[in-house]
Amino acid sequence: MTSSGETTGIDLTSLVREALSAHGSSAATTSTTSDLSIDEELNLHAIGWEAVELVSGYSVFSTPIGLWSWGQGEIVAAGEAHANAFRNATNRLCNEASTAGAHGVVGVHVERSIYSTHTEVSLIGTAVRPIGAKKVDPSLVFASDLSARDFSRLILAGWEPLGLAVGASFVYAPRRSMGTVLQQQSQNVELTNFTEAIYSAREMAMERMQSSAIARHGTGVVEVKIVEGPMAFAAHAVGFAVWGTVVRLAGESHRLLHPSMVVSLDDPVVLFDAASLE
Amino acid sequence: MSDHVNDLPEATEHRLEELEHGLFTSDLSVNEFLLVKEAGFHPVGLVMGSSIYHTGIQTRKWSQSQELTKLTEAMYNARELAMTRMEQEATELGADGVVGVRLDVNYYEWGKDAAEFIAVGTAVKAEDGVSRRNKLGKPFTSDLSGQDFWTLSQTGYAPQGLVMGTCVYHIAHRGLGQTLSSTGQNVELPNFTQALYEARELAMTRMQDESTRLGASGVVGVRLEEKSHQWGSHTIEFLALGTAVTKTAEAITLAKPTTIISLDN
Repeated sequence: MTSSGETTGIDLTSLVREALSAHGSSAATTSTTSDLSIDEELNLHAIGWEAVELVSGYSVFSTPIGLWSWGQGEIVAAGEAHANAFRNATNRLCNEASTAGAHGVVGVHVERSIYSTHTEVSLIGTAVRPIGAKKVDPSLVFASDLSARDFSRLILAGWEPLGLAVGASFVYAPRRSMGTVLQQQSQNVELTNFTEAIYSAREMAMERMQSSAIARHGTGVVEVKIVEGPMAFAAHAVGFAVWGTVVRLAGESHRLLHPSMVVSLDDPVVLFDAASLE
Repeated sequence: MSDHVNDLPEATEHRLEELEHGLFTSDLSVNEFLLVKEAGFHPVGLVMGSSIYHTGIQTRKWSQSQELTKLTEAMYNARELAMTRMEQEATELGADGVVGVRLDVNYYEWGKDAAEFIAVGTAVKAEDGVSRRNKLGKPFTSDLSGQDFWTLSQTGYAPQGLVMGTCVYHIAHRGLGQTLSSTGQNVELPNFTQALYEARELAMTRMQDESTRLGASGVVGVRLEEKSHQWGSHTIEFLALGTAVTKTAEAITLAKPTTIISLDN
């Protein structure tokens, strides 16, 4: 699905020409680095933004030994470590972007690894700014895991990203007693201890993400990613983590994009594979 | 969908209350979000239902093709639990429907007979305030993506519900005599063919029954999945999953599609 230049009311060519000339003329401009594709670069320029620098933020937070094995209720320290690691990584990312003169970071790759002794968060993205804009304070720099393409489409529809909202919670699932295990062996039953643990982890994680979105004065969170399930190193601890980009209407109303229908000539996808019957 | 008592945890209701005050969460991509808006809906929240379920033991006969009713029941019940909980959350939010529903089964190391069934989707509400709930007065559910949802709405059809049918089937092993007699020959293996046919028919019929119950005129985007889960090679689950639709509006004259060549990789 595409939206043509006319319907969005933006004169693409003149903007791109302006952007390119700005690049060549100012001697102060240093070369830029970005992991954007050509398409994305064009998309950015079409809405009057430019890539500045490839920036990263990284943080490792330790968790106490033996934290994951026994207990009940939420594993508070693990949730805090996750939140702190994320906050530190995001701050570093935004500081770096601010130093480079950017107003935001798009296409942030979020990589998080949780081990029994520490939690690691690494963020890499492309710092962007409206073409030729002045430096802003790091606290005003937004980070978003939306691709540059999605970012520009969002801007065209009248919305703006405000930052990443993250929520995570880790909860012990009570072990079933030997008697219960044996009794349930041959039955179709719901394992309520696990279901409840997942639910409470999820509620806390979602709540944390939502309050962080509200704190940023957002009206929504898009492209929420969910990672859930028992921890690989502790089968009786379940984790639930969510993150997404906080957005807000920048103008007074949503602008419809009026997509036009296209038929792609790409090769069809093979849906049925006879070998799967083996 | 059967009626269940409202058994959501208290915290959920609190969180959903927060969502009613304007904030929305959604796992839709930006494209899908914009298209859902384009179709006249606004996302209200990410809704989810999950159930961790232990499936019982079922004995199978080595040389007999049969449906394993206990396992079928387990797969049905557990998905139903997850779906109903998701629907409850959507109802709580006053949503008209849920789009982009994903229905997954995850196996973890809690034991080989326990699996997590999870249903996740984005609850949406019509912006014109007219209720779009289905015939049963419940929010519609649909596994269509935001793109498909918009395209469907252009044709005057509206989704009614995610319908599914499942069948766990044991396919008989062939006896030694049969194996020997067909060695070196080009022959159809009728027992395998028949078993697969029957299992598929059962799953499809059950899905169609569900859509009839919703008063739907058709099922779109049907996926037929075959999985062995953890039961070994001769036990297969056939899962048919699709979105039941009915015609609600006059046919909108569709724009003539433009042929393009994408520059994407």
